[in-house]
Amino acid sequence: MSDPTTNYFVSVAEIAAKLDQATHIAQQLSLTASNARAVALRAGERAAGFRPLTDFIDRLAEITISSSKKINLLASTLSRTSADKVRADNAIEHFHDVYVRAKDSPFIHSLDAQFDLCEAAQQKLNTKYRRQIDQLSDELSMLSNELRNAVILATLSRVEASQAGVQYQEALINVANNVEGAAGKIKNHIHYSQQMVSTLE
Amino acid sequence: MKTHKLFENGSHSWLMFGRDDDKPEQIIDTNQYLVITKNNALLMDPGGIELFSAMLSAVIKQVPADKITHIFASHQDPDIISSLGLWDQALPSSTLHSPWLWESFIRHFGMKSITYAAIPDEGNSLRIDGVNLEFIPAHYLHSSGNFNVYDGEAKILMSGDIGAALEEVDAPLFVENFDEHISKMKMFHQRWMPSNSAKNDWVQRVRKLDIDMMCPQHGRIFKGDDVKRFLDWFEALEVGLIANSG
Ligand SMILES: [Fe+2]
Ligand SMILES: [Fe+2]
Repeated sequence: MSDPTTNYFVSVAEIAAKLDQATHIAQQLSLTASNARAVALRAGERAAGFRPLTDFIDRLAEITISSSKKINLLASTLSRTSADKVRADNAIEHFHDVYVRAKDSPFIHSLDAQFDLCEAAQQKLNTKYRRQIDQLSDELSMLSNELRNAVILATLSRVEASQAGVQYQEALINVANNVEGAAGKIKNHIHYSQQMVSTLE
Repeated sequence: MKTHKLFENGSHSWLMFGRDDDKPEQIIDTNQYLVITKNNALLMDPGGIELFSAMLSAVIKQVPADKITHIFASHQDPDIISSLGLWDQALPSSTLHSPWLWESFIRHFGMKSITYAAIPDEGNSLRIDGVNLEFIPAHYLHSSGNFNVYDGEAKILMSGDIGAALEEVDAPLFVENFDEHISKMKMFHQRWMPSNSAKNDWVQRVRKLDIDMMCPQHGRIFKGDDVKRFLDWFEALEVGLIANSG
């Protein structure tokens, strides 16, 4: 992991990359849902209890995909803001340096107006940066909460699978495992991203 | 960063900045130039990003920031103008004069507020407070879009990378013995300059100018007869060579 105090823009880029992976996994989850629906249909009456579960899996996939997309967008906006912030911070640093080096110059205060403007711009960027981090971390915890349902869904799926008869049992248990696996992976990505975000705050 | 006055008369003065002791070792030493007129100033080849604080500090000791209304970049190289993103924050209402060829490249250094005044291939001139500064074509020497700055009143030619020498950071400001100086210039010109015809074309153009001082962006300034010696030497030199450059 990079040093967040100097390389926060790198951290932001890493968050965006992690969430891009989460989107891909969520797309697999969506595939799993349509797979499950097909199996449940073939299993007929005995898998009747499984069918409504496939809707829930679908919904979970949908929420995960749309939320991941939103988080991705937030992360890329944050990435741009943090790059601007690096530039602004950098300029301010140079100004400070010049104020020290040329402190005896009769013209040193001719820089004041521009320095004030740069500082105001830096303040604005800082506020924007903090607001965007808050939005990002809110969205991350929202998605993380949603994914808790995946464990319940997987448990219910296993119960229903055991009643679907030997022929379909394995396929349906597989569905349950996929849901749990995908949700677990996404949660790991989110957890990692949340940790990264907390270093930015 | 040392400051040296090259010329002064009633209308304007020329300053040279360079020989920066604080500069990181792996960075090529550069000379920056400033023309100060009554109410304005032109900063030429302001240098790399690593040099910015030292440069702005040196310049602000000479003129107030709002007087630096013009910047010139002879070409797109990082040692010439990679500091642009920071000058953009310090001098947002200034104008950058630079080859049209490099506009979309130079903007990569970050330019939000400064105005880009594109110099056409044939060159043009800038008149500030009655002082005329000509942008003389020097294409392919070494950059494919490249200009010198000529001041007919001061008889100074700011020649950019032409006449450049690879020197120690504490080298004298002026060429003292031309023949000895050749060894510090030869490889630079043969290896970085790609075209004999562009070179000869430039020599012909510059021979017509009245020059007391030729001021390169690296190394030492040529004064008096050394200007003509340089033109003769450069004309005879074969450039665009990668071998035999000792
Ligand atoms: Fe160059
Ligand atoms: Fe150069």
